[in-house]
Amino acid sequence: MSRTLKACRSLFIIRVTENLQYRAAGIANSSISIIWSILQIVIFTIFFTLGDATGAAMTLTQAITYAWLTQILWSIVGYFTVDAEIREKVINGNVALDLCRPLDLYAHWFSKTMANKIGRSAWRSAFTLIAAVGVPAALRLSPPVSIEGFLLFLISLCTGALLCVAFAMLMAAVRVGLTWGEGPTYMLESVGMFLNGNYFPLALWPDFMQGFLLFQPFAGLMDIPFRFYLGLLAPSDAFWVIGLQIFWVVAFIAAGRFLLNRKISHLIVQGG
Amino acid sequence: MLKEFRVYRQFVRINLLSGLEYKGWWLMIFQVLVATVGDPLAVILVFSRFGNIGAWSMERILLMYAMAFTAYGLGETLFRGFSYFPYRMIRSGDFDRVLLRPKSLFVQVSASFFHIHRAARPFMGLCIIIWSLVRLDVQFTFVNVMVLIFALAGGFLTYAGVFVLSSGVAFFTINALDWIHVLTSASREVVRVPTPYLPQALRHIFIFVMPVLVIIYFPAAAIGDWGGAYWRGWLALPAGAAFFAAGMLFWRIGVSHYKSTGS
Repeated sequence: MSRTLKACRSLFIIRVTENLQYRAAGIANSSISIIWSILQIVIFTIFFTLGDATGAAMTLTQAITYAWLTQILWSIVGYFTVDAEIREKVINGNVALDLCRPLDLYAHWFSKTMANKIGRSAWRSAFTLIAAVGVPAALRLSPPVSIEGFLLFLISLCTGALLCVAFAMLMAAVRVGLTWGEGPTYMLESVGMFLNGNYFPLALWPDFMQGFLLFQPFAGLMDIPFRFYLGLLAPSDAFWVIGLQIFWVVAFIAAGRFLLNRKISHLIVQGG
Repeated sequence: MLKEFRVYRQFVRINLLSGLEYKGWWLMIFQVLVATVGDPLAVILVFSRFGNIGAWSMERILLMYAMAFTAYGLGETLFRGFSYFPYRMIRSGDFDRVLLRPKSLFVQVSASFFHIHRAARPFMGLCIIIWSLVRLDVQFTFVNVMVLIFALAGGFLTYAGVFVLSSGVAFFTINALDWIHVLTSASREVVRVPTPYLPQALRHIFIFVMPVLVIIYFPAAAIGDWGGAYWRGWLALPAGAAFFAAGMLFWRIGVSHYKSTGS
């Protein structure tokens, strides 16, 4: 157990440093994030100022901040596609090589997925953040609502990142069933993409859906951390909301582990 | 030309049959359906929260948005090979093999991938277009229908042009193609808001650089009688053709500068 942990830690560190080398790609990608955020902000501004925003649970400033946070933290909590490297291994048969290592496969892939996320997003997020505070006031990212809010945001962001990797790992386990093709993973992905609030902040969805929206697993990715940042969730709610996030992390890890072990036990390796 | 078409059909047939070998191929169609239901849902959610903006009802935006993703879906279905090209052919060096064959390069690349489930998006789009047109009480006169068909053709050419353009640029950059999202997803975002309220800079970019407003807003405004001259609706096809030609130019330049990368 401790050997696995040690190996996974080194794998994690190697992978993060490796990914940090691609600074130019990070800058290039951050320009996309910036353009995208500004477009979203334009859309929010038009609808908030010209439409009827009386019943909205969010103000325009909060929505603008939500748009920036989505883009800044996109690779960490917004994006849960199966890790490209793992998918490649499944397709070309190199899964067999990973199975030869005296390591728990789930832990191994989990740490790699996490490392790729953090390593790849670091530069992109940093440059997007600089833009978010550097733009004219009407488009700017606002500071967190309070110190407690910010701390809770950080805590639930960490849980959210774990949830994101756990979900990506569940999809990776599904993907190991190669003969099914990309269909099942795509479907899981589109449902997740929709319910994590990236299309439209969950707090602005119709009121009768709010209960369901908060309890479903994908709110824990981006929406719950952002609500703490914006002050839409009071610090007194933190206990059960973060508990809920942790519950989903555990559920996804258990499901992912179970499915991966089952798939691996009768795996047919393709290719050579 | 006819020979090229036969080659294209042959490639598509093989790709289609190999796709059907996967157990989950019907799930793919279901998945794209989930995704395409998701597309208009975002528009519906926005309008359910904020209501109409002046004369701009949900049906108008749905019409524009559905036109955009029908055009995009057509491009994606018929030119899948180009949208995959930078990822699947350049870095691996697989393009070398294509170059060796004595058949049209353009046809071989465009049909190198074909996924039937991608057709779910234009299908869904057409249904929404017709639904919104009926809700908006648009007259289905011959001229209006022609404008709509020309608009979709122009839109198809524009998005096909985007994929061809990205493949051409990929010869030089090999990687880092995220910028393409500005031309695909971001251009679809632009038609999610009432066009007259867009900031002028954005409006000009999406008319003169990437003509998404020309291929979507002008024809929609013409047939729906939302103001502005009717003749602008006819600009969609020429604009799409021009954008496609520009994409082809980049592709030609790229091919002539190709140096193999793989082994």
